Amino acid sequence: MLLFRSEETVNQWCAAHNVPRRPLVNLAQLWQLAVHWYANRLTVESRRPAPDEMVSIFQSLGLTGPFWDPKSDQWR
Amino acid sequence: MWLRSGCPLVASRDEHGRGQETRKSCAILQTAINCAPMPELDPDIQVKFAIYEITAETGSVPNSSQVARKINIEENEVLAAFRRLHAKRLLLPEPSDPHRIRMAPPFSGVPTKFPVEANGKHYYANCVWDAYGIAAALHCDVISRASDGYTGEPLTLEAKNGEPVLKSYVAHFGVPAAHWWDNLIFT
Repeated sequence: MLLFRSEETVNQWCAAHNVPRRPLVNLAQLWQLAVHWYANRLTVESRRPAPDEMVSIFQSLGLTGPFWDPKSDQWR
Repeated sequence: MWLRSGCPLVASRDEHGRGQETRKSCAILQTAINCAPMPELDPDIQVKFAIYEITAETGSVPNSSQVARKINIEENEVLAAFRRLHAKRLLLPEPSDPHRIRMAPPFSGVPTKFPVEANGKHYYANCVWDAYGIAAALHCDVISRASDGYTGEPLTLEAKNGEPVLKSYVAHFGVPAAHWWDNLIFT
């Protein structure tokens, strides 16, 4: 997952590497992902979100569709 | 709880629901690091805590011998725990050397394009998500002097008082969620 100044440089990077353009996430969404994943990482209760929890987290941030489904086989 | 069972989490939020925890928690982390080990903890949890304790304290992700010394168990037991934690998708051993850890998310065991300064220490994050992840995990203000993935232009990420300093930058997720762990280094 790379950081870009803008959508324009994302498109340039994808073209240069001949890879498909995939979803973009803004910094507010990215921060929420980080909090969901890591805020308790140094605690006894720490664990990685389960697949269904991941889907709920992504949906709460407007990240929907098979790309964000950890159980999707659409991209195989 | 913080790091070890028995260490109180004394951080609290201010009237706005933020801030106090952020300002206090780095001190809490240091306090927790100094707490006595809890032998009743599952070995995998002990190993995981030791990894994060050493990393938070030093800025460097430890190897298996450092973890073994930290919690006074045999290195082979640590290596077995590394394998189980990998199976649980909680860490990634270095592919060419199982004694070393490549990723203890959000921390990287090797230098990356996402250096993070937090609490006067220097860390490396695995990716842009994990740069914020270090702020979330340590509950500290952080600054990451990263760069544009295409142009190389310096781009700075910051989190202060438990909130990101928002800019118009974007993160590109190149791999679908179902395949993040197929090749985590590439992801």
